[in-house]
Amino acid sequence: MSLFGSSEKKPELKTEFVFDTETNINQSSLAKDVKINGSLESTDYIDFGGHLTGTLKSSTINLKPGSYVKGTISANTITIEGEVDGDIQVKDLFIKSTAKIKGNIRYQNIDIQNGSIINADLIYSS
Amino acid sequence: MNDNNSESANDEIQSTPIDNDAKAVNIGSGVRIDGRIEGAETSDISGTFIGTLKSSNININGKGAFSGDMLGQDITISGNVDGEINSEEYLTINKSGNIKGVIEYSSLQVSYGAKIQGTLRHRGSVQSYSSVTTDEIKEDEVNENQEGDD
Repeated sequence: MSLFGSSEKKPELKTEFVFDTETNINQSSLAKDVKINGSLESTDYIDFGGHLTGTLKSSTINLKPGSYVKGTISANTITIEGEVDGDIQVKDLFIKSTAKIKGNIRYQNIDIQNGSIINADLIYSS
Repeated sequence: MNDNNSESANDEIQSTPIDNDAKAVNIGSGVRIDGRIEGAETSDISGTFIGTLKSSNININGKGAFSGDMLGQDITISGNVDGEINSEEYLTINKSGNIKGVIEYSSLQVSYGAKIQGTLRHRGSVQSYSSVTTDEIKEDEVNENQEGDD
């Protein structure tokens, strides 16, 4: 009841609301020094810069330069700028020039930039 | 099958002087060759080639089909390839490219939409077999050095 009376809190609520409609996605960002042993899951967007041993699962995953993942990665869209050692299961895969990949890639669409180092088995699945 | 096309193609060949020093191979659309080509500078394949191809520049065009082994420096693929690709410099796979087999490359670019089924190997990377042998050599060297110190 005191909330309705308070005029000071109104602007805060308004800015929060605007922020929510603009982004409209759940975005997780993990920095360089993050180290994970286990599984990391999200339903939206993961921006990953750290080291992970285990499983990474989301709708969209962006592996930043310097990142390292050993294990299994599955997502709708994956952009790789870091290092991956393991299995990748994806619909749209974008491999950038700084990427280093070892393992198995199961994909539907692939885009590879000059300079990337890939030693992997590619399995195309429509 | 297309009389009009083959006639016009013949006219073009007769009207342009053939450069015997060009080291160029051109397999036209609808043409099929089985065999081995070596020492070519540029190879453009719009037809079907089955066999081994060694050429500095290789271009498998959209309607082209290749089956076998190819070795080259700059390779561009827009058509179908079944076999082994070995590129010493740039390998470009366009969105219409369809590859089945083993790809060994130095620099690779793949456009969204291309289909690749098989194994990718980077030429600069140390393969597991060679890493074992270099480790053995290093161990031997260390042993020798230790013996020398004693």
